[in-house]
Amino acid sequence: MTNAWRAAGITYIQYSNIAARVLREALRTELRADAAKRNESHVKFTPWANGRPAPRQNQSES
Amino acid sequence: MMMQRSTVLLPLAIEATLQAQQQRGMATLKAISIRLKSVKNIQKITQSMKMVSAAKYARAERDLKAARPYGVGAQQFFEKTEIQADEKAEPKKLLIAMTSDRGLCGAVHTGVARQIRAELAIDDVNTRVFCVGDKSRSILSRLYGKNILMVANEIGRLPPTFLDASKIAHEVLQTGYDYTEGKIVYNRFKSVVSYQCSSLPIFSGPTVEKSEKLAVYDSLDSDVVKSYLEFSLASLIFYTMKEGACSEQSSRMTAMDNASKNAGEMIDKLTLTFNRTRQAVITRELIEIISGAAALT
Repeated sequence: MTNAWRAAGITYIQYSNIAARVLREALRTELRADAAKRNESHVKFTPWANGRPAPRQNQSES
Repeated sequence: MMMQRSTVLLPLAIEATLQAQQQRGMATLKAISIRLKSVKNIQKITQSMKMVSAAKYARAERDLKAARPYGVGAQQFFEKTEIQADEKAEPKKLLIAMTSDRGLCGAVHTGVARQIRAELAIDDVNTRVFCVGDKSRSILSRLYGKNILMVANEIGRLPPTFLDASKIAHEVLQTGYDYTEGKIVYNRFKSVVSYQCSSLPIFSGPTVEKSEKLAVYDSLDSDVVKSYLEFSLASLIFYTMKEGACSEQSSRMTAMDNASKNAGEMIDKLTLTFNRTRQAVITRELIEIISGAAALT
């Protein structure tokens, strides 16, 4: 048995993050501002190959 | 004629050297005061950095307490199933270096990098490194640049969130590098003054499924295991990021405290030399005036 989200090609992490985002957006206004802070991420990735930063082949959006 | 010339010349020469000396004396006085000012500024900066990191540390410790169950829970699974890496197959190792972008925090980053270097010294053909934070990249890229798989930066400015961790976990899974076993190398926070560089094992799906003890868990199919491993990787990364952030802040606090203390010592010494030089200049000027006056009478 495969789940619908797995069939759509996303991992469990992405699946649960989407669920978490929806839950945060559904919160009451006074709680939402606080929860919104947990919903941001600024991490950037650079793939490396042969000791040099390499351009990314396929940009994946998470 | 000759006598006369020399008597005329001599005071001129003395005057010239005296002037040079005086200028030199003044110059060092000025140089010392410039130095003193810059050291004072540095002390101000390190003191405020200490304050900032103390505030950040308090928050990081609070966050860490909340994040610990994630890590403990995820580790339990690996302990219960007693997963061992398949020794027959060629091992492909993945090391995740948990550091941050920011420096000036003692030896937190070098500790992590040292442990990774030790692992790479054993086997640098089948081992790849995923650098989290610019610091581990800059330390490792010189010797083991070829082993770096990917670098994640923009870490350490804000406290790590679960979304950060899940992005990293996603990238780890998406790199296309099929590791059989791996390690997350991070700094485990022990107390305000101490942290320990340690590592957590991670395994890939096929390795987990080969484990005999997996039967202790009921109704597992490969899909559940796959989903769980994805989640556990994200939780472990989240947990180690929190541990790392907390150690980093506490270490920065200590480092900045020491820096302020050292700057204070330097200021004391410089003030002393400054005052001494000032006194010397005054004394010399007095001597010049008095001896000048004495020569006239």
